[in-house]
Amino acid sequence: MDDTRRRGRGLRVLAGVPLTAVLALATTAVSAQELVWARYGDIDSLDPHRATSTLSMQVWDQIYDTLLAFDMDGKPGPNMAKSWTVSDDGLEYTFTLNEGIKCHDGTDFDANDVKFTIDRAFGDTPSLTRTSWGPITDVTVVDPLSFKVTLGSKFGAFLPFLADSFSSMICDTNTVDTFGSATAIGTGPFVLDEWVKGSEVALSKNPDYVNFGEPYDNKGAPHIDKLLIRTVPEAQTRLAALRTGEVDIAEPPFDDIESIKSAGELEIMVAENTGQDVFWEFTTSRPPFDDIRARQAVAYATDPQMAIDIIYGGLTNREWCPVARGVFGNDQEFCKQFGYEYDPEKAKALLAEMGFGPDNPMKTTMFVWTGGNRHKLAEIFQSQLAQVGIEAGIEIMDIGTMNARVKAQNEDATSDEPGTFDMMTWSWYDPDILYQLWHSPGAYSGFSTPELDAMLEETRTTIEPEARLEKVQAVIQYLMENAVHIGLYSPGWEWVFAVRPEVEGFKVGPFLHPSFLDVKMSSDG
Amino acid sequence: MGKFILQRLLAALVTICIATIAVTILIHLVPGDPVRIMYGSFQTTPEELEAIRVRLGLDQPIWTQYLMYLERLLHGDLGRSIVGDQPVLDVLLARFPATLALTVSSLFIAVVVGMSLGFLAAYKRGTWVDVGSMVLAIVGVSMPHFWLGLLLLFLFALQLQWLPVAGGDWRSLILPAMTLGLANAAVLARLTRSAMIDIFDQDFIRTARAKGLPRSIVLYRHALRSGLVPVVSMLGLQFAYLMGGAIVIENVFAWNGVGRLAIEAVLSRDYPLIQGFILFFATVVAMASVVIDVAYAFLDPRIRYS
Repeated sequence: MDDTRRRGRGLRVLAGVPLTAVLALATTAVSAQELVWARYGDIDSLDPHRATSTLSMQVWDQIYDTLLAFDMDGKPGPNMAKSWTVSDDGLEYTFTLNEGIKCHDGTDFDANDVKFTIDRAFGDTPSLTRTSWGPITDVTVVDPLSFKVTLGSKFGAFLPFLADSFSSMICDTNTVDTFGSATAIGTGPFVLDEWVKGSEVALSKNPDYVNFGEPYDNKGAPHIDKLLIRTVPEAQTRLAALRTGEVDIAEPPFDDIESIKSAGELEIMVAENTGQDVFWEFTTSRPPFDDIRARQAVAYATDPQMAIDIIYGGLTNREWCPVARGVFGNDQEFCKQFGYEYDPEKAKALLAEMGFGPDNPMKTTMFVWTGGNRHKLAEIFQSQLAQVGIEAGIEIMDIGTMNARVKAQNEDATSDEPGTFDMMTWSWYDPDILYQLWHSPGAYSGFSTPELDAMLEETRTTIEPEARLEKVQAVIQYLMENAVHIGLYSPGWEWVFAVRPEVEGFKVGPFLHPSFLDVKMSSDG
Repeated sequence: MGKFILQRLLAALVTICIATIAVTILIHLVPGDPVRIMYGSFQTTPEELEAIRVRLGLDQPIWTQYLMYLERLLHGDLGRSIVGDQPVLDVLLARFPATLALTVSSLFIAVVVGMSLGFLAAYKRGTWVDVGSMVLAIVGVSMPHFWLGLLLLFLFALQLQWLPVAGGDWRSLILPAMTLGLANAAVLARLTRSAMIDIFDQDFIRTARAKGLPRSIVLYRHALRSGLVPVVSMLGLQFAYLMGGAIVIENVFAWNGVGRLAIEAVLSRDYPLIQGFILFFATVVAMASVVIDVAYAFLDPRIRYS
């Protein structure tokens, strides 16, 4: 590493404190076009079909581009594809690409690259994106700038998916073994220089980049020359690095946000329309939560608004819907009608009906995943539950383990242990998340009924927006009335950014996709 | 001597084998199916999950998995990581130099600071120098690495701005090395002090003094050389402590070594990588112990025949 930022710091060590101010000015001016973004973890892969983490997707966004793009409200519109037509039966989509898109290796991006990407998603094992693309049966290149996608059945989430990072367009020159682990050729605003695993993803600006549809002011190449995405696991270390200027953007420790705000040294940015939903869900295959009254009792007994006010201040919102803000179908007023306002007396009455009382508390265990102060939130909920006579233990684990254990709980219908419930989190760009979660067998082998399955299928096969909204809201109502999926709050993880004053124009697009297209580094920060 | 080295090597091999058996058993006691955790997003069909399980051998009984692992090991194959699908050995070797640099420089700091402090305390026994050094040592032993690391970080990187917070070049090695080194210096200081006090009371030191040798010769040639023998024997153990401490410290300072890799692997339940790490870690510690034992045997001929 020989950038001026580092050389400058070396001189400071030699010269000592008195020179610091002078040199700081000099180094900032010279290295103004480099931005360092620190995050708690590294990416899993550079291959968009090989990982699912938000950390990975946020890097793909910089290297690759997508056929469609979400606007700031989360609606998909043209991007690399400038237009498309849909056949009357809703099974054939014909897309036309914009001209002049260049891959990072200098080759032209055309319909063959699109076919390469989709074929790869379906042919490659293990591809993690396959089912998200929908029931695609064929991709045909019509001419270099147009292609036709054929679906086996109608799929309402198809167009939104084409704006999501999972559908990142991969150039067909990515044929070497190192693709995904060391190399990645895309058409996005930044070119991969190097991925030092566990440490840093180094990117340079793509001078040929054209922004056709991303919701940012800059329609050309990024203003900054270098984007260094660094892994700094410890939150206090990230904050220290932000304060010294080694890092320009990072997620701050929650407990320090108030002091950062009052000190005014860093700007605190909160992402909106993240699509992140934190919700209660239950092991419905055995007591006590096989009984709807037990689920409703938990919902009535817990007060998410109070809990998030205490733990997150004003950084997050009460979320009534099973699909979060920014996602098609989200409507707070609609969802609230079927929601469970905090009412401990109702909870007690339901528990009494089930035979529980002060001498015979309902016992259960709450699963929570680590990080983001969620354990503190869980403690508040635990004491709220205790007030109505629900004795809930708390088990904290990483998200991967929680996913696996929730599924295992649902699949174990005969255990003598009381069923668990969990503070689950999901982020998705479309209400199709409800299909993935609740259509049998479901992501967690949880609650399902033939009636719900049929309703969910209709949300997929209905494409026309108004009609689809009706179908989606019917599902929302069903899930809430049956106390299956009870929204708590949104956003819920990695949504707060502390930004140094030198950084201008940093924006976070919908579904938590940070963009550096408009970023300029000022020298007077 | 050859027999002695062979014995030590065999003992090291047994240690390594026990470590691999323990880790294979332990990992299955932790709740959570690794395939589901890694690939279990709803994007993957149950058939695909099963195919992956078979490919990784995770559908086999534990002992079969272990035997398969040993068989591959004999071919020099540590398997492929689940995250990123890379050869485990390559992943470990890529990150090991950073950990080695950290542990060796920490050991250097621990030895220089710890032994000097211990020697001084013993020499000035009963004075405020002795009491002060030992109070420092107790503080050092009691203070969690993590906390000491953050304190040093706030002082040297944030307040004084002498050193970078994190990074990757040699200057960002100083803070983590100091943290680990100072914490372990405390142990060495206490050990050196008691060893030196024993020596100072020995007859041969009194004789050396009585025959009028200069104080410096008595201290350095007679006392220090003999006093350091038990201290050197502790260095192997110290090295193991440092390797363990590196796991925490690498995380605090974003130092890109195998310690941090281990944390990442555990969080993602990357079985092949965890197994590889434990084996690697056990091998490095066991080999370091062998080297120290052999060095000790050279220093003190009595060891070879005991």
